[in-house]
Amino acid sequence: MHATVVLAHPRANSYAHALAQRAAIGLQIAGHRVDVVDLYAEGFRAAMNKAEQEAYHGDEPILDPLVQASADLIGTSDVLIFVYPTWWSGLPAILKGWIERVLVPGVGFTFDKQTGKVRPGLTNVRHLIGISTYGSPRSAVRVINDNGRRTIMRALRLNCRPSVHTHWHGFYAIDTSTVEQRAEFAAQVERSMTELR
Amino acid sequence: MTRRALVVYCHPSPTSFAAAARDRVVAGLEASDTEVRLTDLYGEGFTPELSADEHAKHLDAGVHPSIASHAEDLVWCDTLVLVYPTWWAGQPAMLKGWFDRVWASGVAWELPDGANRLAPRLRNIRRVIAVTTHGSTKHINVLEGEGGKRTMTRSLRAMCHPLCRTSWLALYNIDRCSESERLMFLDRVEQRLGR
Repeated sequence: MHATVVLAHPRANSYAHALAQRAAIGLQIAGHRVDVVDLYAEGFRAAMNKAEQEAYHGDEPILDPLVQASADLIGTSDVLIFVYPTWWSGLPAILKGWIERVLVPGVGFTFDKQTGKVRPGLTNVRHLIGISTYGSPRSAVRVINDNGRRTIMRALRLNCRPSVHTHWHGFYAIDTSTVEQRAEFAAQVERSMTELR
Repeated sequence: MTRRALVVYCHPSPTSFAAAARDRVVAGLEASDTEVRLTDLYGEGFTPELSADEHAKHLDAGVHPSIASHAEDLVWCDTLVLVYPTWWAGQPAMLKGWFDRVWASGVAWELPDGANRLAPRLRNIRRVIAVTTHGSTKHINVLEGEGGKRTMTRSLRAMCHPLCRTSWLALYNIDRCSESERLMFLDRVEQRLGR
């Protein structure tokens, strides 16, 4: 299978980077082809600009080669993985912007011209996976809000085929975690990637 | 006492419906003896990406010097109004970046030693209002989880005054709304903000 890992953390030595790497290793062990899109490293722009907003409903909604490169990867991906730290219960701006700018009409979904309804565009994705770190403990995340998880597991999922498999790997209370806990979670992430079918 | 409102407006196009909503928000506030500060994130070219340096120092108090005025406005206001289009069930990346960078340690929260829950600091904010539009219907937004609404009514509100009230003024299915429905929504926005 072809897997794309979309990674959003500003520091190259972050735990999120380590998790993305372990996920990629797991996938490669299982014989899958992996592309990693490191949003901060490639200088991805978070905010959709005025020209893009105006082009959104036109024939060519993508104006930026970096956006096109991501869209090309998504078009052939069987596995789509997001790795990011949860900030304000949600996706870092750069990752929210990636969704807004890459998953445009024709990529993330299509408008049915006759009915005006939205049709899924990510129909080749068989596994939709989120890997996130949280400052808060799991109990607090559940009670308050996990908008990032909802955005991926619900809003994006609605744009995949109905049979898509979803997987969530959350690492909670990171500020008070131990080295052993982080190592174990990373190993668990790698293992689960080798088991994707 | 005169109220103090910070209006944070986020849309790339100056001729958007969100821009019209922003104008009605300001009109409603000013009609009710409220001092208004307006932030136009796209207009000023705000940088939404939290940098590596900011992340390295994220437990230290304060924001990057280039966005100090944003933090000052946040601790100045008693009413916060967010005006934006809902994209992918939530705030646009530009506005999310304003949360990521401005709602910083020493401004919106502090993390006591050894704790893993933030302690709120924005006790000055007693009211948070979102004015937003959705391309899709209320039904689809419920399926998607209304994440943007929860971010406002739960995550952000938790940093404000314990009795802070939240209001959600949303126009759903905007692509298929009639002109009169859109105008009615704008009237409702101005009226509600004037209270």
